[in-house]
Amino acid sequence: MDVAYILITLAFFGLMLAYVRGCERLGREAGRDGERP
Amino acid sequence: MTGNGWLQILVFSVAVLCLTKPMGLYLLRVYDGSLRSLAPVERVIYRLCGVDPQDDQHWTRYAAALLLFSGVSMLVTYAALRLQGSLPLNPFHRAAVSDRQAFETAASFTTNTNWQSYAGETVMSYLSQMMQLAFHNFASAAAGVAAAVALARGIARRSGGRIGNFWTDLIRGTLYVFLPLSLILALVFVQQGVIQNFGSYVTVHTLEGAKQVLAMGPVASQEAIKQLGTNGGGFFNANAAHPFENPTAGTNFLSMVAIFVIPAGLTYTFGRMVKNQRHGWALWAAMFTLFAGGVTTAYWAEARGNPIHAARGVDVAATATNPGGNMEGKEVRFGIANSALYATVTTDASCGAVNAMHDSFTPLGGLVPLVNIQLGELIFGGVGSGLYGIIVMAVLTVFIAGLMVGRTPEYLGKKIQSREVQMAMLYVLIFPAVILLFTAASVVLPQGLAGLSNAGPHGLSEILYAFTSVTGNNGSAFAGLTGTTYYYNTLLGVGTLFGRFAMMVPMLALAGFLSERKTSPESAGTFPVASPLFVVLLLGVILIVGALTFFPALALGPVVEHLLMGLGRVF
Repeated sequence: MDVAYILITLAFFGLMLAYVRGCERLGREAGRDGERP
Repeated sequence: MTGNGWLQILVFSVAVLCLTKPMGLYLLRVYDGSLRSLAPVERVIYRLCGVDPQDDQHWTRYAAALLLFSGVSMLVTYAALRLQGSLPLNPFHRAAVSDRQAFETAASFTTNTNWQSYAGETVMSYLSQMMQLAFHNFASAAAGVAAAVALARGIARRSGGRIGNFWTDLIRGTLYVFLPLSLILALVFVQQGVIQNFGSYVTVHTLEGAKQVLAMGPVASQEAIKQLGTNGGGFFNANAAHPFENPTAGTNFLSMVAIFVIPAGLTYTFGRMVKNQRHGWALWAAMFTLFAGGVTTAYWAEARGNPIHAARGVDVAATATNPGGNMEGKEVRFGIANSALYATVTTDASCGAVNAMHDSFTPLGGLVPLVNIQLGELIFGGVGSGLYGIIVMAVLTVFIAGLMVGRTPEYLGKKIQSREVQMAMLYVLIFPAVILLFTAASVVLPQGLAGLSNAGPHGLSEILYAFTSVTGNNGSAFAGLTGTTYYYNTLLGVGTLFGRFAMMVPMLALAGFLSERKTSPESAGTFPVASPLFVVLLLGVILIVGALTFFPALALGPVVEHLLMGLGRVF
């Protein structure tokens, strides 16, 4: 099970890094939709 | 309830109030970089780690650094626990920690949760306790405060998404806050009788003639950071109910103050950073109101005790020689008031250390720790996580207030628009989603039900508490649930990870988005965020978000259990 747990950990933190990109994209799209700083 | 009990709660509250400003000012000097007494040490660390302290990171880089640091340190801890049997400082030849427990423990300590499905004194070597678990106690606490300070910077300045340097915040927090304060507190603990040694376990003969083995170890050093960092993981299985971890009324009081002092101080730091000190105090007041409500309810419920006892002629009234109320699962040394206060403090603050067994509280007494965590660990909260949790709620509060009066909402001069609200809602929704989905799965799957030792509503409360605790990064438990299975170890470990990082990412995004906005001067139409009205609205949002989301589950658990207790049924 060691490999499984290491993969779960890597998958989770990989998912979180993708989540960062997703949040950034959401912010950019909101900016394009007319929101101004 | 007794006057003595209320006096102790009052003294504790005054101590927290008095320490808020000095701690807040100290934290401000640490994180604005003006405190330089350890600058040579800092420089060496930066050089060794290749950190440029002047690099002001965009929020995406800040978040990536935090995730990278946490992921790598979690994997190192997993490996070290699995290799424990071959590593030094293992005088009792502890074997490798099992894979499922190593995963859960590594996840739990990385996320500042410290949920423990093992007994430290029989599973962990001294090296594992000191190098792995204690390391995360410092690092996860420093990472939490770093994230909160980053959010404060995002609000306080206009910097195009740049919110500071994660590595600098992490190192400065550890060097200037957690290491020195832990050293001082550990020395006080040793003076009070908390043990600190590498000795062999001691065999003693009890008065009844039985043999008992007393576990030893470097406890005081762990105990100090466990409380200051709102980590909560005990050296011993009994945690702060163990006389070697928490020997006197003095250590009990200091422990509780240590849990609250940094989260309380951070509200002051935040007020100074955003140049609105009254707003910092408004956040403090909202937190204190929720704390006061919780401790009053818990103390009342535990002092009242179980009515079935009274109906059967047991004397449950408090007298000079009888504590009265519900003493099941409580230390006689601490009594009802200090057990209720400790349970409230530890679950308000995402600490999770316990000096009494929450599973043995009355249904309503046990409801308080559960609700405290479900409100989002923002009643002073975990170090850092409490502050950013209540700031997210404040953003939602001004948004709702803005909608009510038809104005563009503003928070401390920054416009709150759709992307900020999206991030705040992500933060708010992930928390109950993880708790309720994992709880729902566990009450229908045989693997989930296999861990239960109590039937009926109390069993539901045990499962709900477990997932609430790990997702809220608290770590305390209704210990009736057997969590040492592949199912629970894995799911609870994953729950801690989501509860920490899936909430931190949108919070850091919120910080970045706010830092891109210009600060508008206050006008007649600005909603005042330092007024009693704001505190009331903020409390309303916190209670509605927390209470309504979890009310159905709570109704089926502790509320039903309380009603059935009135009819003479216990679980």
